[in-house]
Amino acid sequence: MRVLKLAFTYLRIGIANEMQYRVNFFIQLLQSFVSLGTGLIGLALVYNYTNELGGWTRPELLAVMGVYIFMGGIINAAIQPNMGRLMEEIQAGTLDYALTKPADGQVLVSIREFRVWQLVDVVVGLVVLGIAVDQIHQRIGMLETLEFVAALLMGAVMIYCFWLMLTSTAFWIVRVSDNIINLFQGVYAAGRWPVTIYPNWLRLGLTFLVPVAFAVTVPAETLTGHLQPLTLLEAAGLTLLLVALARLVWRLGVRNYSGASA
Amino acid sequence: MDSNNAIIKVNGLSKYFQVAVREAGLKASTKSLFHRTYKTVKAVDQISFEIGRGEVVGFLGPNGAGKTTTLKMLSGLLYPTSGQVQVLGCEPSRRSADYLRQITLVMGNRNQLSWDLPAVDSFELYRAIYEIPRQQFIRVRDEFIEMLELKDLVNKPVRNLSLGERMKMEIVGSLLHTPKVLFLDEPTIGLDVTMQRRIRTFIEDYNRRYSATVLLTSHYMADVEALCKRVIVINHGKILFDGSLSQLVERFSPLKTISVTLSKPIANPSQYGEVIEQTSGMVKFRVPKASTSAVTARILADLPVDDLTVEDPPIEDVIEKAFSHEGL
Amino acid sequence: MRHYLDFYLTSMKIAIQEQFQYPVANYFYMIGMIAEPVIYLVVWSTVATLQGGTVGGYAPGYFAAYYIVWTLVRNMNIVFTPYGWEMRIQRGQLSGELLRPIHPLHSDVAYFAGWKVVVIVLWLPLAACLALIFKPSLNPTWLQVVVFFIAIWGAYLIRTMLLSLLGMITFWTTRVGALYELFFAFELILSGRLVPMALMPGWVQTISAFLPFQWTFFFPINALVGNPTTPDLLYGLGMQLVWIIAGIFFARIVWRLGIRRYAAVGN
Repeated sequence: MRVLKLAFTYLRIGIANEMQYRVNFFIQLLQSFVSLGTGLIGLALVYNYTNELGGWTRPELLAVMGVYIFMGGIINAAIQPNMGRLMEEIQAGTLDYALTKPADGQVLVSIREFRVWQLVDVVVGLVVLGIAVDQIHQRIGMLETLEFVAALLMGAVMIYCFWLMLTSTAFWIVRVSDNIINLFQGVYAAGRWPVTIYPNWLRLGLTFLVPVAFAVTVPAETLTGHLQPLTLLEAAGLTLLLVALARLVWRLGVRNYSGASA
Repeated sequence: MDSNNAIIKVNGLSKYFQVAVREAGLKASTKSLFHRTYKTVKAVDQISFEIGRGEVVGFLGPNGAGKTTTLKMLSGLLYPTSGQVQVLGCEPSRRSADYLRQITLVMGNRNQLSWDLPAVDSFELYRAIYEIPRQQFIRVRDEFIEMLELKDLVNKPVRNLSLGERMKMEIVGSLLHTPKVLFLDEPTIGLDVTMQRRIRTFIEDYNRRYSATVLLTSHYMADVEALCKRVIVINHGKILFDGSLSQLVERFSPLKTISVTLSKPIANPSQYGEVIEQTSGMVKFRVPKASTSAVTARILADLPVDDLTVEDPPIEDVIEKAFSHEGL
Repeated sequence: MRHYLDFYLTSMKIAIQEQFQYPVANYFYMIGMIAEPVIYLVVWSTVATLQGGTVGGYAPGYFAAYYIVWTLVRNMNIVFTPYGWEMRIQRGQLSGELLRPIHPLHSDVAYFAGWKVVVIVLWLPLAACLALIFKPSLNPTWLQVVVFFIAIWGAYLIRTMLLSLLGMITFWTTRVGALYELFFAFELILSGRLVPMALMPGWVQTISAFLPFQWTFFFPINALVGNPTTPDLLYGLGMQLVWIIAGIFFARIVWRLGIRRYAAVGN
């Protein structure tokens, strides 16, 4: 499909671009390790006082952190750069360039940017996850792996749709939107822990308002045996809903978009 | 002038910068990872001059000539590499509070005023910074507002003002503490003609009222011609000329332009002088000043003249010629 | 010194006037910041509940109080970012400040101080909401309240000096990203931002006593929500003073050296 080819082209350009700034790799490496370090210290502090949290044992909590870092890497590599650029272009009125290209607008603005060095987090996350899963002694077979991948994919798509809708608010209210993004970053941090430990109202918010639960907790559940039977079905439903909603919001936004004023 | 009374004393002042030499190409950039070579850029090279109280001096030179660097050294922002500089008896690079209270540096595009608030609020802050006694502050502020006709604008947020209005506010702000020495770096840049004129008049008035010493750089000849009795021409870090504007014209362009409108075209105009422009009905000659009357007389006698004007060459041309001169 | 008082008051007035024009932006920033302490709060409350009510001697009510007050102290801790210094120096924005007869650090401190006043005012309703949701247990004595109010400004000053020192490194080199990240990571752990210091292992608490971090975070919060003795409170204020003086001392030296380089090299 043309879309895939286009995506690969952008990917190639993005990587080639980033390769020039090899120092960014080392900076990213440092940031990832510092982040990992503080995360592990946080976990260790909790381990000091308890062996399990909300039904999650120590290695299971580590697994959640692994998925959190992994998903964070994907968001920072593929989703955040595009949404950030989209926000800037809406505010500056330079979105026209993207809208007048022969590819679908939404697809284009979503795949243009790729920060390859953020993938360090993906690797770090997988390593942490691997270590955690090893300690869990849970049987990870074909079914679990498939469930895991499916959950990850749906989680990522949901985050993308959510973020797209968040960014699209800039079509209507220009100034405040930057801060809304800050808000999301803060809320995503809640994914470090399994959402089941949060009070009900918070858990609901983290499931249906900001899909952190589906991005982090659910994939972790697939590998730790916590997965409820209907969860993946719910995830699928919510994913479809968000995709449709995001598309709708995007189109409305574009129609409302007037471009750079004189 | 009496050296002891000079407000600004500059002697053998130099500023050299070390700039990394960078070449294009892969091989060169790899080499530069290991071995950085530097070359010395002489932004200001052994300049000397003195400026007395109340003088308004124009500092002329093409971009990169060393004007801004000199101003920065005079205001204490840069340390000289060598030489002496003294302003109001102080060494600028010490940046003593006393010294800073008596000078001001206005650079054309800098925004010092608070963007979101009316200018009066920022003025209040300046009062606090410069310790201006309240009565004096009010008097000076209102005087300036009056002079630049800003009464209706001082209470509007600065972001709502036009560029010209904002520049006027910035200038008022920078003079509230009635400094004795003004360093003005392109004060009228980007403004329309009316605004330039207003600001020029204001500077003139301020200079007269407070006997302030003004050192000003500008690319607009109108600024220089209107304000500066004396000009210092600088290029490649060296002073090429220091004297009055008329002396400048005399030295670098002792020429006049004779524009003649003819009723009939003529065959060989260059016998009268250097032809710089020729259309079917008009010829422009450039002749040495000394022979102007003689040539004019000949033209009037020999040719079918409808109209004849004698002019000085445009200052810009003179300055340009001065810039390319090799130095004193 | 009346001159400096005049300057500070006027600067603060300007900062307040400016910042009150952007209540929404300020609020969103503060709300975005709330996610972090709420997460900590919930996690530790859960641990406490699991352990039969308290962890490390603290009940969920304490954690609620700790992390709600955290939001104010966090805001008081926000000063001019060291990354911003790089921009200042590269873009020649320092020149304007250098031409004034007042040390530029005064400008920073004064402006942000005014901003903090706005922050405190905007924070109150936010705190009320959080209190309704999380039910903190808060029973400070009058002395605690007074010390708290002084301590938050002490925290502000300490952090200003620390981050200014960090920022001034960019007079010499711009490759400071790694250093800053490490600094913030250490600060996160050793200041009481992550967890109340009392929950940290003993050796960490010992080290922390010799560092400035906990005096910017844990000390002010605990002064209000904990049960410090009067000697504790006075000792804390004293330590804050020590670090403020040390900070100013070093900041002045580094600034002088930095300006010498800046003025020699130009921008």
